[in-house]
Amino acid sequence: MIPFFLYLVVGAVTGFHVYILLMLAALGAPVDPLELVSLVGSLCLIIAAYLSLFKPHAAARLALLASLAIWCFYGPAIVRTVGWF
Amino acid sequence: MILPYLATALLALVTAYSAFVSFRQQRDGSTATWIFPNGTRRSAQIAVGICSLALFLGVTGWLTIDARHSIRHSSRFLIPEGYVGWVRVEFQIKDAPPLPVEGGEYLFKFPPSGLLRTSSSEEYGWAKDHYFYYSEKGARILPDTPPGGGGLIWGQINAEESGPLGKKKYEEFFVGTEQQFGEQTRGEQNVGSSAPATPAK
Repeated sequence: MIPFFLYLVVGAVTGFHVYILLMLAALGAPVDPLELVSLVGSLCLIIAAYLSLFKPHAAARLALLASLAIWCFYGPAIVRTVGWF
Repeated sequence: MILPYLATALLALVTAYSAFVSFRQQRDGSTATWIFPNGTRRSAQIAVGICSLALFLGVTGWLTIDARHSIRHSSRFLIPEGYVGWVRVEFQIKDAPPLPVEGGEYLFKFPPSGLLRTSSSEEYGWAKDHYFYYSEKGARILPDTPPGGGGLIWGQINAEESGPLGKKKYEEFFVGTEQQFGEQTRGEQNVGSSAPATPAK
């Protein structure tokens, strides 16, 4: 059950965070396409959570791909926030 | 705000975990432990399925009931011709007039100051609102579009603030081009003020 809860919680937290950022578009904020990629990644992570109940290895691979998709948004965001470049 | 930090930390954890599980099973074969299980018991699968279904039905039902109880009338916002800046409606103000209703729509007619006070309560929910510039010659439609669509209505906010006279519910939005809205919000960030803008001359 550890992978199920781990994937589910992370998918929900990252998805909720990116969803809030996307909602700022209603106030005129520009939409970053990477936010959409990240949102799809969060959805895949939630799917991986349920898959982990039946096929843990396949779920881990899906979760790895999903987390890489989420990093597509978080990685550049962290770099910009920290100001490395 | 802790959410971005929490999301990043959890994401790092799940990336490391999923990478380890993916490559570990390929290399070593299956050695099940509590942290790296090979599968889940049938009873646990059924329990998760039932809990997920109950959660899904609960959330769907709650949203459906909430949507039915939060019916909002459409609103017609009349803004003085040529006004550019923030307009604001303050609700539940004592001694202020109630909002008139015309053709099933609430009528918000703003004075030149851009500040409208009403004793009516704010309604919540989705409804199609209409925006107009008005003058002695008549009224013309103000387009309300997504960013890049050439709209003239931006940054709608429904909020509540506390003051010496208690809590005050209000609604604000910006009237002007997208570029003017961007300049205004950048200016506010620099000044740190949210006072309604004055009409353009």
